Amino acid sequence: MRVTVDRDRCQGHALCVLNAPALFDLDEIDSHAYVLADPVPGELAGSARSAVENCPEQAIAVAD
Amino acid sequence: MTAETVTPPHFCAAHLLGSWDEHHPQRAFIELAGQNAPNRPDGTLVVARREEMTEFLRHPAVHATDGVNYHMGAQRPLIPLDLDGEAHRKYRKLLDPLFTPKRVARLEATIRARTNALIDVFADNGKAELMLGLCAPLPAHIFIDLLGLPTDDLPIFLEFKEAVVRPQGATVDEQQANMLAAGERTYDYLARVLDERRAGPPRDDLIGGFLTVEMDGGRLTDQEIIDICYLLVIAGLDTVTCSLSCMIAWFAEHPAERRRVLAGPELLGKAIEELMRYESPVPLGHRWVTEDIEVHGRHFPAGSKVEVVWAAANVDPDTFPDPLTVDFDRPHNAHVGFAAGPHRCLGSNLARLELRVALEEFHRRIPEYKITPGEDVVYTNYGVRAAIHLPITFPAG
Ligand code: HEM
Ligand code: SF4
Repeated sequence: MRVTVDRDRCQGHALCVLNAPALFDLDEIDSHAYVLADPVPGELAGSARSAVENCPEQAIAVAD
Repeated sequence: MTAETVTPPHFCAAHLLGSWDEHHPQRAFIELAGQNAPNRPDGTLVVARREEMTEFLRHPAVHATDGVNYHMGAQRPLIPLDLDGEAHRKYRKLLDPLFTPKRVARLEATIRARTNALIDVFADNGKAELMLGLCAPLPAHIFIDLLGLPTDDLPIFLEFKEAVVRPQGATVDEQQANMLAAGERTYDYLARVLDERRAGPPRDDLIGGFLTVEMDGGRLTDQEIIDICYLLVIAGLDTVTCSLSCMIAWFAEHPAERRRVLAGPELLGKAIEELMRYESPVPLGHRWVTEDIEVHGRHFPAGSKVEVVWAAANVDPDTFPDPLTVDFDRPHNAHVGFAAGPHRCLGSNLARLELRVALEEFHRRIPEYKITPGEDVVYTNYGVRAAIHLPITFPAG
């Protein structure tokens, strides 16, 4: 599974970082999310899908 | 304040509904979210559905002000709240790095110490009024530390934010005049602070940072720094005060859920997000539409003023199934308690830290508490929702 953050949509809410710290972190310079693990390790696929649903800006996408 | 505090009908579209209830406003917000293209009797359009909201807010023709009137008693555009487009982005680029989760984590020990010092005052009494005892002073103390101001100035802050967030007066005009007067005093105060700071040695706090930071190859002017600080004071004190009061009031009335969090402290982060959704302490914001646009099949004519009701979107049953249930394990919680779009709360990660540390320490010291028998929690939903009278009783120890 691949996961991406659309940095144009991302507004840095950091909910992805709170919910899935193994997958996302916030850039310390522009405070947009970036992906830590792509492709997503199998055991984190659920976290990745949940991050999609928990992003207020619909900035995260996953693809199989 | 007294039990008579009510939301003036001009404040929020949900207040105009028959289902409005100061104690439990969530039902009225659900009703608002269920309306098709709601508007107010004066024609103000209302965006209340969660699905519509994200797209509306990120539309480039949706602006934060009409370019004439600014938020909350300000004489000039507040930075960054009253700015749009490139001007807004420029300041957010400067400010965002100062408020990331990692950056604000440095404040954790101070927040913990301040919380405990406030709890020390009432811990042996077996009862307390937590608005004045904890919720109001804590964020103000933290702010003073963050900005680097003298602790003695605490009363100035508390007076100012109260006058601006909930201006007194019998009419809207009177309220506006009082708000502007309080704003004026704050501009003067901040100008004096900056003069003193420029004369003194450099210090490692937020104002110290603003005095030395470079943007577009130049320094910030005093006016820019004042306009940033003015907004930080309005945006960062009362919001945390009110959110904390709503959360403690909720935990006081829901002992089973409170004990779940006590037993599994790792649940607290999720509990805070879920209570931000359910309580939505900042109920709404305003936007202006600069050209005819179409969002989710709805037409917004150029020049419209729009009331964007975060509190309604947060209980929209289409996005949040069973919205009246507070479920810490809610799998999907893309709430807009901190707004969304370009003006998404700058301080959300500081707010989360303050709420988490305050609740951790409060629950560690006073795990069992209830609303004092014979007394009521008094809520206001005007400006920011808060439990403005929060009397609790607990086993003294
Ligand atoms: C639980 C506490 C808080 C809540 C519920 C909250 C909520 C909000 C909301 C809803 C907005 C959007 C306003 C609008 O677009 O009309 C906002 C913006 C803002 N907040 Fe917060 N806030 C909180 C705490 C803080 C703190 C602690 C700070 C400061 C450190 C802060 C600073 C700001 C700033 C500067 C903006 C304007 C951002 C912009 O226009 O780009 N907030 N907040
Ligand atoms: S939750 Fe969405 S908007 Fe927030 S930081 Fe993550 S990707 Fe960005």
